[in-house]
Amino acid sequence: MNYVLHLLIMICIYSILSLSLNLLVGYTGLLSLCHAAFYGIGAYVSALLMTKLGLNFFLALPVSVIISMLLSLLVAYPSLRFKGDYFILTALSFQIIIFSVLHNCAGFTGGPYGIPGIPKPHLFGFEFNSLPLFLLLSVILASLVFFVIYRISSSPFGRVLKAIREDELATLALGKKVAGFKIQAFMISGGIAAIAGGLYAGYITYIDPTSFTLDESIFILAIILVGGSGNIKGPIVGTVFMIILPEILKFLGIPDTIAPNVRQMIYGALLVLMMFIRQQGIAGEYKFE
Amino acid sequence: MILQLLANGLVTGCIYALVALGFGLIYNTTRIFHIAHGIVYTIAAYLLYTFVRGLGLSLVWSLLLAIILATILGIVTEVFIYYPFYRKKTSLSVVMIGSLGIYIFLVNLVAMLYGNETKILSPGAGKTFNFGSVILTKIQLAEILAFLVFFSIMVLLFKKTKLGKIIRALADNPNLVTVLGINIRWVRIYIFALGSFLAAVASCLVAMDVGMDPNVGMEVFLVSAVAVIVGGVGVFEGAVLGSFILAILQNLMVWKIPAKWQSALVFLILVFFLLFKPMGILGKRRRLEEA
Repeated sequence: MNYVLHLLIMICIYSILSLSLNLLVGYTGLLSLCHAAFYGIGAYVSALLMTKLGLNFFLALPVSVIISMLLSLLVAYPSLRFKGDYFILTALSFQIIIFSVLHNCAGFTGGPYGIPGIPKPHLFGFEFNSLPLFLLLSVILASLVFFVIYRISSSPFGRVLKAIREDELATLALGKKVAGFKIQAFMISGGIAAIAGGLYAGYITYIDPTSFTLDESIFILAIILVGGSGNIKGPIVGTVFMIILPEILKFLGIPDTIAPNVRQMIYGALLVLMMFIRQQGIAGEYKFE
Repeated sequence: MILQLLANGLVTGCIYALVALGFGLIYNTTRIFHIAHGIVYTIAAYLLYTFVRGLGLSLVWSLLLAIILATILGIVTEVFIYYPFYRKKTSLSVVMIGSLGIYIFLVNLVAMLYGNETKILSPGAGKTFNFGSVILTKIQLAEILAFLVFFSIMVLLFKKTKLGKIIRALADNPNLVTVLGINIRWVRIYIFALGSFLAAVASCLVAMDVGMDPNVGMEVFLVSAVAVIVGGVGVFEGAVLGSFILAILQNLMVWKIPAKWQSALVFLILVFFLLFKPMGILGKRRRLEEA
């Protein structure tokens, strides 16, 4: 039972990540490879605030969201000028630089050893210390994010983002400030990813840089490429599919030593296959022009 | 000390340059962000390891076989993955994701078969040569030699042969080349063969020098991709220039800052170039929409 609860919590965390990345990839058409960086910023900032300053989880989380939003400007501004490969490289640079900072600034972030002993979230003396309670918290946060993204996607703001994805010049010609919209999309996306990071830190109670590598960014991107992007259901389908799939492998009796590799090989093959037969993913609408 | 660091930088630069020359060749002509280039590099090293350690072949035969097989892998990705995409006129982002998929699939296959730990091919540094205060090993000299030989061959190819002319034309304007009635299919196969061959040569030399682990391909690929941008997109020699700049800066940096910041440095340089000189050092000024 605990195992099922753990899976559900992970599905909540990755839903938050994929829903927020969808805003960039699926709505604005920016293939971003730095989402694990925002995820990591959220986890580290909230973990540091909780362990070093003894702040409450529910205070640390908003602060980490704000910091992540501000740092997202570092990618947003340079990437305004680029599309395609150059944009991907800019995002990749941000991912690698943030990872280097987390990994190398040992005095501040604990370096490769990470931050242990992160307290479980508590509110008015009520502690989310058991799995069912933590699941409740994750579901509440994920639903909140789902609601926000849902509102964005059906708002005029969301429609402008989709217009940018389809034709940037035409959108500009219609008098929409494309740069401003892109920056806002970045900030919202980075901020929401930080929520997932804080949640993860509070759940695992120990974080180290290896959870926020380029591979993780690729994994989050793979979720919405397989599940589909540009609408609200694609990322959810992708998350459930990509989190449940490895568990099915466990029941097939593949030994634990090679299971992670087999899992990743399936992701890789799926990516190639999807690009051939169904570019919009299982349930998505955007087809990468 | 600083001379030795500079020499190390030059040797690393030769390796990056070979890989970047290959990546640049592919990127400049087909515009495919060929991430699987990294896996060609990794697999060449592991093939060499298998032939030398597993099958006990002599080094020369192992080198030949490893390089040929890795080149074939490059051709296979073009024939079975990229060309069908090209026929369907799929967008380049989709092709890049496909390439990423190939990379993820194969890198995990390698990790599954050989494990994640570093494998070493030849123990010890081998014979060393002193040039004043600079010490270089035999393999490092081989790396420099390999770069000089293959770079010269590539320059001759570009300047003197018909294939070279077509390749340069492709880099300039891909649509016009098809209008001239040239069979792009074969040109693309040659391009992928040449590019993969260069990566495989570099990879085998590094494998003999410091060994290998499944992630080497991605590390070298990222640096070489940055080198192509820094040197100048569309200019084949640019990749070489970019490689040497990155390698020398990386090695000189060790003098003042811990080596663990090397990858961050490479990407800081990239961001700097993207912001202030997006077409690279040798690249012609073009509007980004055209590129």
